[in-house]
Amino acid sequence: MHLFLLIGLVAFSIMAVLSRDLLKSAISLAVASIFLALAFFGMNAVYAGVFELSVVAGLITVLFITAIALTRSDSEVAESKRHLIVFPLFFLALAVLDILVMRKLLGQIPAIQSAESGTFSQVLWNQRTFDLVGQVGAIFAGVLAVLALFRPDGEKAHQDNVSEGGRHE
Amino acid sequence: MNNLWILNMGFVALLIGIGLYCLLTMKNTVKLLIGVEIIAKGVTLALVASGYARDNLLVAQSLVITVIVVDVAVIATALALIISINRHTKSLDVRKLTKLKG
Repeated sequence: MHLFLLIGLVAFSIMAVLSRDLLKSAISLAVASIFLALAFFGMNAVYAGVFELSVVAGLITVLFITAIALTRSDSEVAESKRHLIVFPLFFLALAVLDILVMRKLLGQIPAIQSAESGTFSQVLWNQRTFDLVGQVGAIFAGVLAVLALFRPDGEKAHQDNVSEGGRHE
Repeated sequence: MNNLWILNMGFVALLIGIGLYCLLTMKNTVKLLIGVEIIAKGVTLALVASGYARDNLLVAQSLVITVIVVDVAVIATALALIISINRHTKSLDVRKLTKLKG
């Protein structure tokens, strides 16, 4: 069962890369996310699965589709047709390398101690507090960046800045 | 060091490989972001699989949540950047972004 979920994940990821229509790519990515979330549920990682489903399969797909809708009317980018030949070769080489090397490579990773206790919220709030601060910072920075990029008179302000810079020089 | 972990890690390598291929060869900026997203999927799968194999699932899940939150911030910023570039160049082609080229 787990193997089928992983195969579905890789298959829909490939479809997202190779699909010519951007909308189909975004939706394939969402389906791949759903497969990943189901794999997480199978490994008892419930919180990670819920986050993957709600945020990655939901929010990021909505962001992608919004961006595609806002830029859709313009000209499409012609991807080269060589991908249909090159990608299977690349994927085959990668898979063969993966099968040959991965087991030996993973054997070299030293074992870490595994002693954890308590509930998920205790671990998240007590042990990983610094990560939470970082997350708040990342979200704040993202919001500021989006606001800065979508300023109503962004172009005008940019031109003013450029002309000011020219004057200073 | 069980077999499920090795299987998961094999698929992690495949996902990261697909994402890198997308980043290296595609010309559409939205496709490049999709490549970043596929790599992020591989990373989250690696974290959860390792946590499951070593009985450290709680720490692994909190790290996954951090990765996902950072990923959302990155994608939102990058898509906003793409839309604002698209307004200037009227294209999504990454080859047309040559204004800063020396």
